[in-house]
Amino acid sequence: MLVKNIFIIKVFFTNMLGFRCLKERNDTMVFLDALLNGVLMGGIYGLTALGLTLIFGVMKVINFAHGTHLMMMMYAAYWVVELTGIDPYLSLIVVIPVAYLLGYFTQDLLVNPILKKEADVREPVGVLLLTAGLWIFFNNFFLLLFGANFRSAETIYSGTTFSLGSILVSKPLLYAFIISLISTYTLYRFLKTTRLGRAIRATGQDREAARLMGINVFRIYNIAFGVGIVAVGIAGTVLIPLFYVHPFAGDVFDIRAFVIVVLGGLGSVPGALLGGIIVGVIESLAGQYFSMTWAAALIYIIFLIVLFIRPSGIFGFEKEG
Amino acid sequence: MINSSSKKSVSAKSSLYIFGILILIILLCIPIFIKSANWLQIMILILWYAGLTLSWNFVGGFAGVLPLGHAAYAGVGAYVSTLLFINSGLSPWIGMIIGGIVSALIALIIGIPTFKLHGAYYALASIAFVESIRMVVENTNEIFGIKVNGARGLLIPLEGHAPILFQFGGKVYYYYVILFFVLLILFISYKIQKSKLGFYLVAGGEDQEAAESLGVNVTYQKLIALAISAFFMGILGTFYAQLILYIYPLGIISMVLSFEIAFIAIIGGRGTLFGPILGSFILVPLAEISRMYLSGSRFLGIHLMLYSSIIILVMLYMPGGLISIFERLFYPRGIDKLR
Repeated sequence: MLVKNIFIIKVFFTNMLGFRCLKERNDTMVFLDALLNGVLMGGIYGLTALGLTLIFGVMKVINFAHGTHLMMMMYAAYWVVELTGIDPYLSLIVVIPVAYLLGYFTQDLLVNPILKKEADVREPVGVLLLTAGLWIFFNNFFLLLFGANFRSAETIYSGTTFSLGSILVSKPLLYAFIISLISTYTLYRFLKTTRLGRAIRATGQDREAARLMGINVFRIYNIAFGVGIVAVGIAGTVLIPLFYVHPFAGDVFDIRAFVIVVLGGLGSVPGALLGGIIVGVIESLAGQYFSMTWAAALIYIIFLIVLFIRPSGIFGFEKEG
Repeated sequence: MINSSSKKSVSAKSSLYIFGILILIILLCIPIFIKSANWLQIMILILWYAGLTLSWNFVGGFAGVLPLGHAAYAGVGAYVSTLLFINSGLSPWIGMIIGGIVSALIALIIGIPTFKLHGAYYALASIAFVESIRMVVENTNEIFGIKVNGARGLLIPLEGHAPILFQFGGKVYYYYVILFFVLLILFISYKIQKSKLGFYLVAGGEDQEAAESLGVNVTYQKLIALAISAFFMGILGTFYAQLILYIYPLGIISMVLSFEIAFIAIIGGRGTLFGPILGSFILVPLAEISRMYLSGSRFLGIHLMLYSSIIILVMLYMPGGLISIFERLFYPRGIDKLR
């Protein structure tokens, strides 16, 4: 199933690289081009990781179904665009409520019962297994529903570019980057300034203390999961003009999102964006100078190095539970 | 009161032995009743999965961590024995042992850094390792003049009925070989569970800090368990290569297989002796039959849908796994050890 993913990335990158072959250019331009595309792509990676970092920060559980949620949201956006023919970015009006409800009820009906059951277990892996189950289930369920076809919505943005000197920048990629910046900033402000945002942060810091302060912890969990999936929904929507929609499309972003969360730090919203850009740049440069498949392997290697340099302490995971 | 309950558990235990012996006799006699190669193949796969999940159980069950990359070790075993067979004509019977040892060594190299991690981090790291091993194999066509064939995989040359080269004319032979392996692994699980190692592992799995404060070197014990586990994974990988006569990275070093192993063990009941076997006897036939009767790319994942929905239900309603039904049957008073 991952061969297909690599294929998707390849298709994507050859689309992007295709523009470059038109002119002969010197090494600096190639480097700048790879760097710029890496930064822009990294913005999208950061957006995909935003939901994961929020959910992780509040509940201390890893949502293994993260990539699957992204894939589901991509399908939602794809069908909205395909059936109504509206601008892909306008489909957010539909996608955001769908994403919120999906997240809210996943948490409420499936995750919370296990969290309540495992309240006194030291290393809770029940939620991890449950979300891993959801991951495998929905990937294969969407395969059953929509088949293994690669779908791509024809939008007015697909394949359009800006030119900055001799560097060509894909328009939807740039828009995606801007939306990613806006979303990150909005979420950051939401968590910092609003009452609800403070309640979410308080729950993330200390569940028991938050409960004593009169916060309904499990409702906060529901909301946090909902907001996390909304971030995923936005990411899925901005990906529509760029990527093929496919039952396993989310898996490409899955392990990257984990890497980014580890790089950026627990529950840190700006960290997710920064980590995303770091990963995007490394991947783009490795893809430019080595090969795309080795760039994918490099992601895992970075991930392992980051995990081992600060084993488990990086999030203070041991203290939780 | 106490007397009667202990009497009851003794009689439950003896009935358990009778039950076990009965099942063993049935398993030994199965090839007499099942003549169809298809169904015998399913029986072989059930036992193969039972072996894999039992080996997984050393680490995933007793030691209480959650490895999600165990297919890597089976893949390493399969590749080592197959490469030895193709390139130097070494019999897979010997290659199997070498493959197992190589798997165990790789497991140690992976285990030393990863066992510092806990919970979800260990699971993620184990996935990252199996995926990077797969990517390396997929992108290697030739190394030191040995053809690995990258993503295309390796075909094992046909030798006809050659027991010395681990190739048989009929499925029956494979059936008895895998039955022997499963019984061996089951016996070793039993021995480990009753040994100091088993107690250390359970103690470390339940509370690592408490166990360490009592002087148990938890990481060291986990490493031993992982090495034993990887050794048997390697041997079973070789068995699979000799049964199917074709291996390729996405088939044997895959995340899907790793997840299947973990899911079967957890649905059956992780950390118990018979849970993994029960799990594979229930789930593998479902998977194989759905594969037999539902073809087409859409239905490729239907058995995985089945596994994952069962695991979601098990996590929600029966965290001890399906074996806990039997536990309740034999120990109605709630002695939670069928171990």
